[in-house]
Amino acid sequence: MIDPILDFIFTNLDPLIRIIIYPGITFIMLFTIFAVWYQRKFLARLMLRMGPVHAGKFAGWLQLIADSLKLLTKEIIFPEHSYKKLFLLSAITLPVIPAAAIALVPFAPGYAIFNVRGYTGILFLAIMSLYPIFIVLMGWASNNKFTLIGAFRTIYLDVAGEIPLFLAALGVFVWAGTYDLQDIVAQQATMWFVIPQFLGFLVFFISYFAMIEKAPLDIPEAETELVFGYRTEYTGALFLDTMLGDYINVLAWALMMITLYFGGYNGPAIFADPVLNGAFWILFKLIILLAITYTVIISYARLRIDQAIRLGWYYLIPLALLNLIITVILKYVVLEGGA
Amino acid sequence: MSYDMHRYLTDPFQEIEELGGGLFKLNIGPQHPISGQGRFIVLTDGEVVYDIEVDIGYSHRGIEKILEYKNYIQAVVPLERMVMLDTSNILMGFVRAVEDLYGIEPPPRAKYIRTIINELNRISSHLYALGLFAESAGWNPAVFIWTTVDREPILDILEMITGARWSHSFFIPGGVRADLPRGVKERILDTMDYLERRLEVYEDAWIYNETFRMRTEGVGILPRDKALEWGAAGPSLRASGVKYDTRLNEPYSAYPELDFKIVTHTAGDSYARGWVRFEEIKVSIDLVRQAIENIPEGPVKKALPPRPVKEETLARAETARGEINFYIYTEGRDKPYRVKISPASFRNFFVIEQMPKIQEIKLADVPPLIYSFDPWFLDADR
Repeated sequence: MIDPILDFIFTNLDPLIRIIIYPGITFIMLFTIFAVWYQRKFLARLMLRMGPVHAGKFAGWLQLIADSLKLLTKEIIFPEHSYKKLFLLSAITLPVIPAAAIALVPFAPGYAIFNVRGYTGILFLAIMSLYPIFIVLMGWASNNKFTLIGAFRTIYLDVAGEIPLFLAALGVFVWAGTYDLQDIVAQQATMWFVIPQFLGFLVFFISYFAMIEKAPLDIPEAETELVFGYRTEYTGALFLDTMLGDYINVLAWALMMITLYFGGYNGPAIFADPVLNGAFWILFKLIILLAITYTVIISYARLRIDQAIRLGWYYLIPLALLNLIITVILKYVVLEGGA
Repeated sequence: MSYDMHRYLTDPFQEIEELGGGLFKLNIGPQHPISGQGRFIVLTDGEVVYDIEVDIGYSHRGIEKILEYKNYIQAVVPLERMVMLDTSNILMGFVRAVEDLYGIEPPPRAKYIRTIINELNRISSHLYALGLFAESAGWNPAVFIWTTVDREPILDILEMITGARWSHSFFIPGGVRADLPRGVKERILDTMDYLERRLEVYEDAWIYNETFRMRTEGVGILPRDKALEWGAAGPSLRASGVKYDTRLNEPYSAYPELDFKIVTHTAGDSYARGWVRFEEIKVSIDLVRQAIENIPEGPVKKALPPRPVKEETLARAETARGEINFYIYTEGRDKPYRVKISPASFRNFFVIEQMPKIQEIKLADVPPLIYSFDPWFLDADR
């Protein structure tokens, strides 16, 4: 009886390690814990304050664990007349969406959780476009005016931010001549795509803030108007779950940006093992990108929803289309098909 | 223009049906990140706001009634609970009224000390208000925490002079409680230099930040004639182009002897109101410097005569939120028969309620609109 199971485990050890340890669930959870601590400390420095200091010997690094334990002991309250099944399921499903998309991102040559080739870039964007739908479901199921307005705003912002982001990503696909994320990263061994695709990168970077719903485009959860937007009614473990979804969403989009524009796992060889080397450079780039993200978060006031939509439709989408046209001309007319 | 006090409090749903249905009645407060100790009833269709009603009275403490049972010295303590951020400016109106009743004039040194403390309080109150204004326009708490941190040195000075950071009970009818302590002059001048450096940082990072201006410019434009008609007070009035400041129009304390200008702006929008506050901090820094340089020697308080010489009086002072008026009627005893307070926040709340009637306001504009007036529920409730 035990033999077939052991046999199964040994033949599938490599995929299991990828799913469970790196770059799968354990990595994602550990990185989330790190990202929360990093965000708190980084923002605190910019705000002239300390950030968490008490839990954990080194700079309050256990604060998130303490917060999570507190939230897990809290009662889960279902609002009156809420759609309970949807309220529960949409919150539980939320972190799964970006985590599923991360499965397609290569962390080393030929090393991804779901190691397929082909249309992975398109598949990544398709999976990530499900994320706002669950936010809308959460807002609608809560039976609360604040969450409902937050859900409406998510739809508006999604339309204004997702289209330019996809168009900018399309520029990269055209430049690389492939939809395959592993090929795209492999092509960036000599030159990062941020150089030929700089205009597209700018569009992607601005739309990125709409997709991760952080300031200056944190319009759906605008604290001063909507309390906490679509997650106002969530308490305890479910609130923790929605926050987890939020951080994994940031991680997924940051990984996508690194993959498309900053050479993914590419970098000077420090470790002999390509997986270790890729992990080092991915983490290095992630930390720098997150620092830039947090600096932007702190530097700007939140836009109004109509201003954000105008930004998306009047500026970002034309710029993304312009970038696409320039890319096509550059690749197929000037360079005649060879990038 | 007829004004029905409790339009949505009494029968909200009927009103909403009359307006065509499909509207949300959003209760912003009393438990909401921005509301404070009160409630804004916002009638909205998705993002467009149709009406705002301010529901005050959650923190009514009956200060006017309490004052009828206290003599004029005792009255200082409950009275300054009106606005904890701005206690000395609130008290200034009251001590002016009582000194007028008794027909006495405080000693010149007391006047200068009062001016210094008033202006320090005004700076700290404006810093707090500007931080809230930035946060209400959708900033992360960064700016609010900056201003809160930069308030600390001022509160330290106030503690050094008066013994308390907030409610110092320092002004009494006839003067101030104590003289300035040793070494406070240098400390104040150092702090004013520090604040000037910080204000430059604010200008770069925040006041002239493009996104902040996008959010606040052109939002809640209060025209000059409407500002006068509806009785806007303080910086909100001056931002609409009205050059009215009690410190200049009816000078008290050391203000007649000091040289300062009144900050006005012509735009009348939320940004202008915030900008006027910001520039007033600079004026206050200048005033503190002048007062500390020119302060005369002498006693700091004078005893009150046994009985008031006048029967009634009306006195005013410029608080950080606008002009406060005190009407006191007395029957010749050492206690007032009736005190009527007209605070600035109460008038500004009325103006906020009128704003959706003259222009379109979005839901996201409501918090910056409210905090550009810097209303304080405790002030309005009394």
